[in-house]
Amino acid sequence: MTKQTSMSRRQFLAATGAAAAAFTIVAPGSVRGLEANSKIELGLVGCGGRGHWIADLFMKNGGYQFVAAADYFEDKTKGFAGKFKVDEARCFNGLSCAKKLCEGKLDAIAVESPPYYHPEHAATGVEAGKHVYVAKPIAVDVPGCQLIGDSAKKATGKKRVFLVDFQTRANPLYREAVKRVHNGDIGKIVSGEAVYYCGDTWGNPTYDNTSAEVCLRNWGVDKVLSGDIITEQNIHALDVASWILDAAPVKAVGACGRKARSGSGNVNDHFSVTFFYPNDVLLAFASKQFGQGYDDIGCRVFGPRGTIDTHYFGAVKIMGEVPYAGGSVGNLFTDGVIANIAEFAKCIADGKVDNMTGPASVQSNLTTILGRTAAYKKGEVTWDEMMKAAEKLEANTKGLKA
Amino acid sequence: MSAFASLAAPLAGRVLLACGALALAFASLHAADAPAPKPGDIVTNSVGMKLAYVPAGEFDMGSAADEKGHEEDEARHRVKLTKAFRIGVTEVTQGQWKAVMGQRRGKFEGDDLPVEDVSWTDAKAFCEKLSKAEGKTYRLPTEAEWEDACRAGATGRFAGEKLADLAWFDDNADGKTHPVATKKPNAWGLYDMHGNVAEWCADAYAPDYPSGTVVDPAGPAEGKGRVVRGGSFASLERGCRSASRSSTPAAYQMKTVGLRVVCNE
Repeated sequence: MTKQTSMSRRQFLAATGAAAAAFTIVAPGSVRGLEANSKIELGLVGCGGRGHWIADLFMKNGGYQFVAAADYFEDKTKGFAGKFKVDEARCFNGLSCAKKLCEGKLDAIAVESPPYYHPEHAATGVEAGKHVYVAKPIAVDVPGCQLIGDSAKKATGKKRVFLVDFQTRANPLYREAVKRVHNGDIGKIVSGEAVYYCGDTWGNPTYDNTSAEVCLRNWGVDKVLSGDIITEQNIHALDVASWILDAAPVKAVGACGRKARSGSGNVNDHFSVTFFYPNDVLLAFASKQFGQGYDDIGCRVFGPRGTIDTHYFGAVKIMGEVPYAGGSVGNLFTDGVIANIAEFAKCIADGKVDNMTGPASVQSNLTTILGRTAAYKKGEVTWDEMMKAAEKLEANTKGLKA
Repeated sequence: MSAFASLAAPLAGRVLLACGALALAFASLHAADAPAPKPGDIVTNSVGMKLAYVPAGEFDMGSAADEKGHEEDEARHRVKLTKAFRIGVTEVTQGQWKAVMGQRRGKFEGDDLPVEDVSWTDAKAFCEKLSKAEGKTYRLPTEAEWEDACRAGATGRFAGEKLADLAWFDDNADGKTHPVATKKPNAWGLYDMHGNVAEWCADAYAPDYPSGTVVDPAGPAEGKGRVVRGGSFASLERGCRSASRSSTPAAYQMKTVGLRVVCNE
């Protein structure tokens, strides 16, 4: 069994912020044909904790300069502008903050807002002709996923880069191991398991679901704004499974609950779902977001000749007739983002706009929504039923400023 | 075992280098007394190993981004091979291994089965011993030579229309190796390039191919293991593609990996 680290997401953020190495990958003069040493002018949409954290990594890359910021809350953009030297005249607030930001002169936007708003904000960027870097999850519902898929395609048509920030897909060990499975090193896949076990991520914020602003400030514990834990957090495990299985599930059966979570909010604290993939391949998924003693974001997939075993905070390897030693993925949480930030700049510099992370992320995001839908129902839901229903989640926006 | 087909068809996706020894060789095609070898022309060595002639030339290595099963380490690029070489018509058999090394190897048993369960170091030792015995230079193919030989002028996923006609792989191999040359050959008369056992190449592995046109590539000085090419009896279809790449530590022995030799022309 892989040794598991017991580190909350917030501890992880704190521990990794200063450790990222700085490096430059944008060739001088290669960004949109501008003069030597030009940088990608970037706007941040969503200036909360993750926004600040990833902004540091963008700056350490050396190829970017923040020129604008958007967040519903003024105090968030003020804090960001002060730290990253953004002109306050280019800071925008309210529900239309992303639109206002995109009306200005800049090359790209990074979408780090609450997941509920990712599709709208990403689409706004593409419509305005910007390159778009978007955090996972890409959306909280089927229409949102479809809008992201359309935006990625539209970006390609406009010769703009659209990159979804999944850390595992940027890691060479994961890439090599998954390639080997696709090539047949474990044989035809029979079954698998994916797990996401962690402690209470968001603590106990002041939360009142009758106040839209309070919900927005504490979006991580709000079912609609976050998509619930299976979509907002557990997607890392289901994305790896989806990648390895290289298919969308046909149906899912599941259940979920909220029993041990001590904090406020209305998200669940555990899920258990069985996914049925084509060719009768079964994937058992389980997650929890409470308690102590055991953390893991893992995926194991079994074939007649071997097993692929992956851990977000541990090792990636294949055991069996054709083994792959793989190795420790190190600090994937940060290194994966660093790699994606570098890839984003490289794609802009090279004009590489195939935007392949778009469709892949749509499939894995929809997989989490299928699992969630089945778990809420405590029963079975097929992929086709989910797509046909195309349920749109509606957040509480009462009283929010435009 | 049939010989290769005509000269024109095999070269559909490949350009011959009209220079040096090759030009001389083709000029001499018209000389009745000393015909130059054509792609796929075969000679047989001291242990009964048949070796097909591959002329110098150019081809597109790797796969297009839209090829089904394409992986990121297969970026398509142009490769020039400036020297002709000869390559084994079949994977090295257990009988040939025993004739050279003095003892049998392989998890499966049979003189006409491909040797497997040999490390890259073992494979290199086999080439060195054979070289010494014959006074010629036998070696493992470079990755570029291997893919050129596998394609034999073809530019698609496989060097033929149906993989099952060309290869023993997961769908038809029943979990074991099969006697060499019992599937159809490619256009240069080479058997089992897409299956039966995967094959060691000389190169160290690096996921990023060099960009632009590359002349006689031999891989990076250091890499993550040694390149292994071609599908095996255990591979799924996408792992049998001409462009599919893998790597394995040089010391590993696996029943899915054997070798095919090259002899310098």
